Amino acid sequence: MNCEDVPARSHSPLRFLVIQLARFGDLIQTKRLLRSLQECGETHLLVDRSLTALAHIVYPGVRVHGIAAHGAHGPDILARVYEDLGDIAGLDFHRVYNLNFSGLSFALSGMFEPSRVRGYRSLRGQRLIDSWPGQVMRWTRDRSLTGLNLVDVWGLYADQPVSPERVNSAGPDAIPRGGGIGVVMAGQNARRSLPAQVLAPLVVAALGRVGRGPIHLLGSGTERRAARELAALLPAKLRGEVRDLVGRTGWRELHDVVGGLDLLVSPDTGTMHLAADLGVPVLAFFLSSAWCHETGPYGRGHLVLQAARSCAPCLETAPCPHDTACRQVFSDPSVLRHVSGHTGRALAPGCLVMESGFDALGLTFTAVAGTDPAAARRSAFRAMAAAYAGVPMPGSAVCLTEETWMRERDWMLPQTLRGRAHD
Amino acid sequence: MTETRRILIVLPLYGGSLPIGRYCGNALRELGHMVEYFEAPDFFGAFSALKTLRVGTDRLDYLENSFLQVVSQAILAKVETFCPDLVLAMAQAPLSRQALKRLRRDKVPTAMWFVEDREVFPYWKAFAPLYDLFAVIQKGDFADQLREIGQPNSVYLPLAADPSVHRPLEMTSVERRKYGSEISFVGAGYPNRRLAFRQLCGYDLRIWGNDWDGEAILAPYLQRGGERIGTEEVVRIFNATTINVNLHSSVRPGALVGDGDFVNPRTFELAACGAFQLVDRRGLLPELFAEGELALFSDMAGLLQGIEFYRTDPEARAEVAARGRARVLAEHTYAHRMQTLLQHASALMQPREVAPEDWRAQMDPRLREDVEALLARLGLPPTVSFEDLVWAVRGREGSLDRLETAILFLDEWKKMYAGPRPGK
Repeated sequence: MNCEDVPARSHSPLRFLVIQLARFGDLIQTKRLLRSLQECGETHLLVDRSLTALAHIVYPGVRVHGIAAHGAHGPDILARVYEDLGDIAGLDFHRVYNLNFSGLSFALSGMFEPSRVRGYRSLRGQRLIDSWPGQVMRWTRDRSLTGLNLVDVWGLYADQPVSPERVNSAGPDAIPRGGGIGVVMAGQNARRSLPAQVLAPLVVAALGRVGRGPIHLLGSGTERRAARELAALLPAKLRGEVRDLVGRTGWRELHDVVGGLDLLVSPDTGTMHLAADLGVPVLAFFLSSAWCHETGPYGRGHLVLQAARSCAPCLETAPCPHDTACRQVFSDPSVLRHVSGHTGRALAPGCLVMESGFDALGLTFTAVAGTDPAAARRSAFRAMAAAYAGVPMPGSAVCLTEETWMRERDWMLPQTLRGRAHD
Repeated sequence: MTETRRILIVLPLYGGSLPIGRYCGNALRELGHMVEYFEAPDFFGAFSALKTLRVGTDRLDYLENSFLQVVSQAILAKVETFCPDLVLAMAQAPLSRQALKRLRRDKVPTAMWFVEDREVFPYWKAFAPLYDLFAVIQKGDFADQLREIGQPNSVYLPLAADPSVHRPLEMTSVERRKYGSEISFVGAGYPNRRLAFRQLCGYDLRIWGNDWDGEAILAPYLQRGGERIGTEEVVRIFNATTINVNLHSSVRPGALVGDGDFVNPRTFELAACGAFQLVDRRGLLPELFAEGELALFSDMAGLLQGIEFYRTDPEARAEVAARGRARVLAEHTYAHRMQTLLQHASALMQPREVAPEDWRAQMDPRLREDVEALLARLGLPPTVSFEDLVWAVRGREGSLDRLETAILFLDEWKKMYAGPRPGK
């Protein structure tokens, strides 16, 4: 048997539940885990109610359940949650993958036999974290030198994860679809987005790279004003190419529009992850706390303009002492030249052009312009992480035993692969 | 119904005050309070392992002290999470002086129920001032001595019985053969008991309990090789025995029947079982039991006379036992003791910041019946706050049902989103 440690009751199909209570982008980034589980049995997904329609679209075959997790639902939330849980309460799950470090997720884990829950669980009120997510959290304390893509972090919860090339719904390679470019106005965190004045030249450069319009502006209703500003800042000859869809797309429309693009220009957003899943080339700009090695677009051939000051990546909840200076590099002519496809000249310091690819562990990003001083260390980290995850990595770099990557308890307590068995 | 309080009971690693701590918990829950135990016995295995190291004594001493400091830290962490209105420590609770100082600094009220003989265990002098309330089982000048060393807030709190545990049982003939005898004693082999019980060898005698090793004369009467007997079986022995001898321990040389003051828990437990006992006179016994509620003796001659009198008079035994049980149920249960303790501790405890809201009234009517059933299942009073309900659900064993899960989810949801509290 290839999938999971199947008990003797092999007559009944295996049934899995993935609890993903985070946002749009996280839902898409759960794809490696879901697709791995789908190969083994009946797969259920519990998400915030606002995302059930999207989950149905991007995960055909997965049984989607909604719960009133986010937003102001009013005084009837207890009854609503009680109703919502009715869908899954009677089902016997072989494994429950509880992916978020949040109180809501810990609360939900209590409904299942603790030994069947992976990730984050609660045992008689004591919150417990499996070895794998615990290890990943420790690695992220040294973000500039480490980096595992979140799709792979969650995907490697599965005992038999599908290979990185089989994760995307449209295949591993980014291929232009002929529908012009899309521009996502902003991400959830304002510090990781660009103002219209910086974004407009990037859009012009990106259009030069693709060679054709139209220009689809995408985003939520709160970004309408920013969209108008951007359109006004574009050269007059391009304004006729603008299709302002900001605040006007449901999940289905967004899926269809994005799926037909030649290129999506975006900060680190859910729409970016959707485009990557649909095989649409992404040109992303990552600044502030956004780090392509962790949440870059999944697939082969995407580009990320990564702000690479010495303080990157930062903590988005901490105030920036530099007035988000990492934003300025995206206006540099050398960066714009690279975006438009003219890569012959050197890139301004503080920026890297990173291109996505795969190794045995999952998604990688390699500098195609600029110098990435941490590249060798990151390779060593990935070799060590692959060993920890039980993923064969032929020809990998020397595995560094960094003290900050391992802890005494890793040696002292019995461990099993990826925390599959609990401590 | 008084205000529902959160009480953390700190149990000892082992020992006689361990079951008493659990009885206190039962009683406090019966009174409608939220009880959480610090399960120090769970740490005893690891603590014992230190003694198998074969290392130097100074090193072992260091390791044991360090281990107990970790346990103390664990108690502080528990306090931080549970936010008790009162920390009730049983004798030998592993709360270090440093931890007690920290609790005082953090304004967490502490009480110790020192259910030990102050003469035998003098360590109370070092710890008593660090507690906010010090409950003792002895009188005399104990309160004065405590005051002199810096503990002005003491209370006399005699031991008691737990009627849910110590109760009359219907015994089968098989059980009577297994546990019964004409005369029995359950307890540890203190020197005075060893000498006294040698005089009972002519009777159908059974001795149960530990610390009887090296006692050749009584060896034929010792049951199960002197292993420790669990509470459930002790209650069966009490019920199956014709005459339960209850001889208080004494370390006074030469005195078979001591002249101490405090009354042991066995006195209350036997009485609560409706079992007949012959108990030695104690200084504090008359204010706890009236004449005729217990059968007493003052010396060995009195014990032997009592045995001869009562062994052939079942009616007399039954009358005394019934009166004793009635008195215990009326005045000497752990619920009574905990009420007394909380009265003394009330001045120490902060009024609850948020009065319990009638959160159930605001709940969706479709769920009301299920919630009532849940409260009953958890043994929670009608006035329980939503926060206390959440705590109780969180501590449940096994998988939660969807209502319990929804309640925990709602609690987390409320923490995440500020503003009006839905469902409350």
